[in-house]
Amino acid sequence: MNIIETNDLSLWYGNKQTLFDINMPIKKNSITSIIGPSGCGKSTLIRVFNRMNDLIDGTKISGTVLYDGNNICRPDTDVLALRKRVGMIFQKANPFPMTVRDNITYGPKLHGVKDQKELDEIVESSLRRAALFEEVKDRLNASALSLSGGQQQRLCIARALSIEPEVILMDEPTSALDPIATAKIEELALELKENYTVVTVTHNMQQAGRISDYTGFMYLGRLEEFGKTRDIFESPKSELTERYVSGRFG
Amino acid sequence: MTPEDTVSVSGDIPKNADISGIDVCSHPKRFISRIRIEDRAKLILMAAVVFTVAVLFFIIIFISYNSLDAVKEIGIWEFLTGGTWSPGSGAYGASSLIVGTFLVTGGSILFALPVGLGMAIYINDVASPRVRNILKPACELFAGIPSVVYGFIGLAVMVPFLMDVFPAHLNYGTSWLAGSLLLGIMALPIIISVSQDSLEAVPGSYREASMALGATKWETTRKVVLRSAVSGIAAAVILGIGRALGETMAVMMVTGNSALIPEPLWNIFDMVRTLTASIALEMPEAVHGSLHFSALFMLALILMVIVLLVNTVARRMVRRTKIKMGTEKAADVRRRRLFAPLSESHKEMAKTAAVYALVFAPAFMISSLFIGTYGGIAIGALAAAGLPVSKRISRAIGPNRVQSTVYLMLGITVAAVLAVLAVFLGVIAVNGLPAISPEFIFSPPSNSGLSGGIWPAVIGTIELAAGTALISFPLGVCSGIYLSQYAGDTRLIRLARQAIDSLNGTPSIIFGLFGMSLLVIAFGWGYSLVGGCITLSLMVLPTIIKTTEEAVSAVPKDLTEASAAMGASKWHTVSKVLLPASMGGVITGFILSIGRAIGETAPIMFTAAVAFRTTSSFSLLDPIMALPYHLYYLASEVPGSTANQYGTALVLMMIVIVLFAAASVIRYRYRKKTGW
Repeated sequence: MNIIETNDLSLWYGNKQTLFDINMPIKKNSITSIIGPSGCGKSTLIRVFNRMNDLIDGTKISGTVLYDGNNICRPDTDVLALRKRVGMIFQKANPFPMTVRDNITYGPKLHGVKDQKELDEIVESSLRRAALFEEVKDRLNASALSLSGGQQQRLCIARALSIEPEVILMDEPTSALDPIATAKIEELALELKENYTVVTVTHNMQQAGRISDYTGFMYLGRLEEFGKTRDIFESPKSELTERYVSGRFG
Repeated sequence: MTPEDTVSVSGDIPKNADISGIDVCSHPKRFISRIRIEDRAKLILMAAVVFTVAVLFFIIIFISYNSLDAVKEIGIWEFLTGGTWSPGSGAYGASSLIVGTFLVTGGSILFALPVGLGMAIYINDVASPRVRNILKPACELFAGIPSVVYGFIGLAVMVPFLMDVFPAHLNYGTSWLAGSLLLGIMALPIIISVSQDSLEAVPGSYREASMALGATKWETTRKVVLRSAVSGIAAAVILGIGRALGETMAVMMVTGNSALIPEPLWNIFDMVRTLTASIALEMPEAVHGSLHFSALFMLALILMVIVLLVNTVARRMVRRTKIKMGTEKAADVRRRRLFAPLSESHKEMAKTAAVYALVFAPAFMISSLFIGTYGGIAIGALAAAGLPVSKRISRAIGPNRVQSTVYLMLGITVAAVLAVLAVFLGVIAVNGLPAISPEFIFSPPSNSGLSGGIWPAVIGTIELAAGTALISFPLGVCSGIYLSQYAGDTRLIRLARQAIDSLNGTPSIIFGLFGMSLLVIAFGWGYSLVGGCITLSLMVLPTIIKTTEEAVSAVPKDLTEASAAMGASKWHTVSKVLLPASMGGVITGFILSIGRAIGETAPIMFTAAVAFRTTSSFSLLDPIMALPYHLYYLASEVPGSTANQYGTALVLMMIVIVLFAAASVIRYRYRKKTGW
């Protein structure tokens, strides 16, 4: 079942068109990777899924993006509710300059959870699901900025999980991390797909090959090819895709 | 890498430097002379810094020395705590003046903080780039209006207005309330600009993270951005306090100057008297060498200590915000230890209690002045009860509508403040224009200022500006260059920077006292043009140094490196590359400083300015007339001279506005040309 589906999606920043007629299905409880050279529109595309592009003035969209069957590009979409259901992890870990606990409780409090006990439970379960609880359970009141880079990124994942999203968008989540921390995040992504749908943007083709079920290759704002990860890597239909995944350009 | 690392080849050339790669002309004689120029240039620049730092020490020494008599005869403790200030009967207890200073300042911040912070949030969150381009220069203009003009407008417009609003409570209109409102308006620009800078400095990634969790822009600002910017905002407030504490003319003109502590302590309708006002009012009557004279210096010393303390705290906070946000800060650890025994739910309760108290206290204080203690309690309770109600309402209408309501309220605040500015400028323009004519500008005052013009004052102001420019420009620019390019991060340099910062925060009336005790009395010059120029120069010096240093440091390092790589010496690089490239910033800062000097009254009222002067001969040692002092004199001593007051105010304002416009144009041109 497709949780997200884009139909002829095009996007402009001012007069500059950055996405061209994208048609892409995102399957529920799967990991979808979007690969492609820098500036090809990967990040722009996933930022359509939680309407983060709204923050940039002059963004125009045509076509539709169906989320659970509803077109989220419509102006009357409840963006706040959408963002609650579609969480996001950014390229560089961006914990708030607050304590570890306050980072996690930020979202739930925002959406109306007040009970201390419930909040404590959310803190623990979110951190556990992000595989961070054991490492920080004695430091819940320490500043989130005192954690290591990899821990900070997992904290951001825990923060995203705290409001029980359905989809998690990851925008090059490991590009600022060392190989060990990267491995941990990848492992985590694989676990998360049990309960969530993961869409990740990555530079790193090996990573896409390792973790994703589906892969889309983007080039100059177009979705060049989309399919099962194995097909994309082993028998790509497009010559461009073939050259990219074999490392001859990019 | 510091600039030192990259250009040291040309910095300290002397003994052990490898000369082979430096001298492109390979002419030994020329090389030696170049080194000599290097050394001389560096020495001259350093001398400027040493001079500036020495000024601060001399100020402290002179003020302290002159207050020795008072310390000996009265005693520090008695002086600080005594309740009666009555020089006529020999009673020198400054407590009411100290309390008055803090009350007026505190009141002004209570008003200016919410308004200023709200405006900063509006500029940051809501305003379109075009609106922002209007608001920011408007703020600068606000900051540029001379304090004596604020005082004059306060007296002419605000005081009568307050008397209309509170007829039963204000006998004369001049009051603590008037002083705090006026000072609050004057403190707004700095609070807005510093807190907006710190809001802007909050990383965009925090914003993104919060919005991605489904928060609105306002929720993000309130819960993440404000929290992250809190030390910058605190610094803004403290800088505003520092400025308000040292303000003289405006406060003196509208607070009523009664040396009594208000009864009850929060009675904003009582008259108060500040330290600065006491000095400015009584110095003309104090006989040099008398106990009264010394006691006034003692007041100045107290003021200086308070302001230095406040500014030191502010600088610490600004530095703290500048420290990278990557590591846990010691202060966080300390705070956490402090609150460690509290559980999460207790923390929430403490926070809630604090909020309720913050709402109750001012509501009670204000309303009790009108309807007595019990009525005050009732109103306070009602206000506090409004909190949960408003919370419930905001939950009911949803975050989006809360956001639009809040932003609407902020927009109204901005509009109201701009309206006040417009009224201020409009009143001056409307009443001043009819008074202005060629005769008014080009003829001397007659009939003690009731009629006639302002020509000697215009001339005096121009002379003061020119003299101040001549003295302060070379000193300030040299010091700025030295600090930017030659000074390392040694202890001595840090100390020098601290001294310059302290000089920057020193109230203008302190400069006036220093100039008087050194130039007028010790040198025996009497009131003189040159004394006024020197005093004003010392006052604006730190600003010129700072803007020069910033402008020179802002030149991209590639240029320095490119020049050094061609074999240029350091001084050559500085004089031929860095200075021309940064001239826009340097000149802008310089013009703004001169604009400030022109409007100052307190520094010249004991060093240079007299009420009337008829001879047209020119001598550096003659006293002068000047526009700001003339305005003060007319407004406070010559009843019935309304037309001439407005005319003088308008001319003064126009000179200041022209200077500001010139500075903006230069800054704009250079920014377009250089792109940084």
